[in-house]
Amino acid sequence: MIEDEIYRSSSQFRLWSFTEASLKQLRATTNSVASDRVRAALRRAQDARRSATSSTTGTPAPGSDAENKAAEDKQIECLTPEEEQQVVDYYSEQIIQLGENYKPPLPTIVRATAIQYLRRFYLTNSPMTYHPKQIMPCALFLATKTDNYYLSLRQFAEGVPGQTSADDIIAPEFLVMQSLRFTFDVRHPFRGLEGGIMELRAISQGQGQPAPHFQPSQTPEDLRRALLSLSPSSATASTMNDRISRAHHSTREILKAAAQITDAYFLYTPAQIWLSAFLLADRPLAEFYLDTKLGGPIISSSNHDQNPLYALRTKLLTTLANCSALLQAYKPFASDEARMKTLKRIVGKKLYHCQNPEKANIAGQKRIPAAAAAAAAAAAGESGTSESEMERLAKKRKLERGSETTKDLFGGELVTQRTKERQMEGDQQQ
Amino acid sequence: MPPARDIMAHRGDDDEVCPVCKSSRYLNPDMRFLINPECYHKMCESCVDRIFSSGPANCPVAGCHKTLRKNRFRKQTFEDINVEREVDIRRRVMQILNRREEEFDSKRAYDDFLEQREEIIANLVHGTDVAKTESDLQRYAADNMRSIRANQALEAQEASSFREQQTHEQELARLRREAARLEYENERKEMLAGREDVLSRLAAGRPGDAAAIAREGHKVLLKKSSARRSEEDRIRQKQAALRNSDARKAGQGALTTADRADESGDSGLIKGLKKIKTPEPEKPYDPFGGLIPNKRDYYTLRDHYPNSYLDPIRQDTRMQAGGYDLQEYYSRTLMEAFAGLGCFIDEEVSKREVTSTMGISRPVATEGAALAAVSSAGAPEASS
Repeated sequence: MIEDEIYRSSSQFRLWSFTEASLKQLRATTNSVASDRVRAALRRAQDARRSATSSTTGTPAPGSDAENKAAEDKQIECLTPEEEQQVVDYYSEQIIQLGENYKPPLPTIVRATAIQYLRRFYLTNSPMTYHPKQIMPCALFLATKTDNYYLSLRQFAEGVPGQTSADDIIAPEFLVMQSLRFTFDVRHPFRGLEGGIMELRAISQGQGQPAPHFQPSQTPEDLRRALLSLSPSSATASTMNDRISRAHHSTREILKAAAQITDAYFLYTPAQIWLSAFLLADRPLAEFYLDTKLGGPIISSSNHDQNPLYALRTKLLTTLANCSALLQAYKPFASDEARMKTLKRIVGKKLYHCQNPEKANIAGQKRIPAAAAAAAAAAAGESGTSESEMERLAKKRKLERGSETTKDLFGGELVTQRTKERQMEGDQQQ
Repeated sequence: MPPARDIMAHRGDDDEVCPVCKSSRYLNPDMRFLINPECYHKMCESCVDRIFSSGPANCPVAGCHKTLRKNRFRKQTFEDINVEREVDIRRRVMQILNRREEEFDSKRAYDDFLEQREEIIANLVHGTDVAKTESDLQRYAADNMRSIRANQALEAQEASSFREQQTHEQELARLRREAARLEYENERKEMLAGREDVLSRLAAGRPGDAAAIAREGHKVLLKKSSARRSEEDRIRQKQAALRNSDARKAGQGALTTADRADESGDSGLIKGLKKIKTPEPEKPYDPFGGLIPNKRDYYTLRDHYPNSYLDPIRQDTRMQAGGYDLQEYYSRTLMEAFAGLGCFIDEEVSKREVTSTMGISRPVATEGAALAAVSSAGAPEASS
């Protein structure tokens, strides 16, 4: 199918589509690498602190060093991939909330793009390394730019709650873009839904065109009759038009929340996502629509071995069922007290303790990259002593440099003065 | 010794008389004998004038009834008339069977062809199967007129380029000789001048300096000659390079013009010719590479879809003035509705990961960027 080929050329399919297993594995490696780094960084920070204290007191404790280290490893408890996932999900929801802060609220598609950016970012980065609180506004701001919804940075910063300056928002921008591998194109299911609804409306008015492979056998009138003879969905469906509108609305709601906060974008294509959401909203209608495209079960029973549509249909139905299950399983955090509680524990305590200190200040790192680690370590330790230590070192370095400059610029002379004089004497004797 | 050579040249004619008019060289010392390749009967120039001036006529030799034409008469080249005839036949056959080695599949095929040609020549010379051989030859000539023509042209071209090259080489040799002569003269002149200079200085200088002056003069001479020699070397190298490039150019010319033959390839008479591949006629250019631009597999696009939200736009001049086309919206939404419906990611991605070891989980492309960014903002974990 030519539409599928066109989708296969997109960066979303090439770079951001995963199987469930590979997605899980990718998250696991990201988590393990990040936790190793966090442990190492925390240990470095602690060492720096200890050396600072020991240099002031002058009494290091040599025997207890190894014990301390083992104890620290136990102390530093990192997030598991599942916990990380919860954190990211929570902040994805926060993006939707953040979008409401503006007047007018940010378009759904901007928020959806931002959520996908955030999720893609945390595939290769861990919340332990970069706190989602910093990344989230940046992702949203980036999405306003890529989705052509202009907001000035100042305007945008006003909407972000808390003490967030404009600089804080754009500080991680390059980092985010790099983690997105500079692929800003996100294929959403929203427009596809509009297309499907548009076509269903046309069918209901007897103007529907059958799919190309059913061109001669089906007429628009056939399609209309088939649509009208559908079993009424559940409640009092007055007219077909109302029914379609209702299905449209509820599908859209599913796409707005469930499709965003789950991994649907990584696991399925937009067309599959909107159709499975549509299946959840109005099953008979969605199945009818699929049958107009792929042929109903009547065709498949006849000679299903030769018919490529039959194979496609069976495979598609299982995929759509899986996707529907994924979408249906989604529950917002606000509705779930227990989840909210665990999340608070994760974000509030655990994430605070296992945050990588070397990456804490993204804005600062950007300016002075080399000194960043030292600065972070210094900031972590007792500031007074370490500062004096650094001053002392700097002075020492300066002194050394000063003594060097007093010597000859190109080093000492190769032939010393005395040998020169001896040569002179020899010449005179000759 | 011119007289002796003259005698040698005419010795064959001397004791002969014209078989037609019976006049001999004794009576007519300017007499020249001519032959006609039709029957190779010899007769004197005056007889040819007399008999054939008024048009074609029969050969006057008794028993020979061939019709001869005056313009075909020519001087005999070889003393033996049989050799003369064979050379003529050979020339004619070679002109028709003028296939070149490049046109054959293998060396073996070319050798077979050469043997076949010799056989035909021998047949014609010795009169075995003349009629059949002649007819074969004629048919071949008629069938392969174009390739024969082409090969003849090639041969002529080669001959002319060979001649050109030869004259060029001669010219170069002449220039070299000239240069050598000039150089020799210069050297001699300089030596004389140097010697005179030394003498005059000796005459003017003090007696103690004699040895020094002589040594100096010798040194100057040596220096000059060595300088000249290095100069010569340089010039010679340049010329050699020039000659080489000329030769290469000539060779290329010969190559590019070679290897052209008629379309039939199969000439009946000659076996083992290369098959000539005629290039397929070019198809009209297809900018989409076989793709039909507006073909869609899941849906058929309509001109208009009923939609209470979109329909006002169709009438809105403000929208239309900007060039907004609802058709674009229709095609895009329907395209996105089905793009990727048949892409089953769990299958296709796992297949992709198997085929390429650096699958999706290894963002290789950004590794460089990640490394560069380590110093500034830290890298994404999985990429390092």
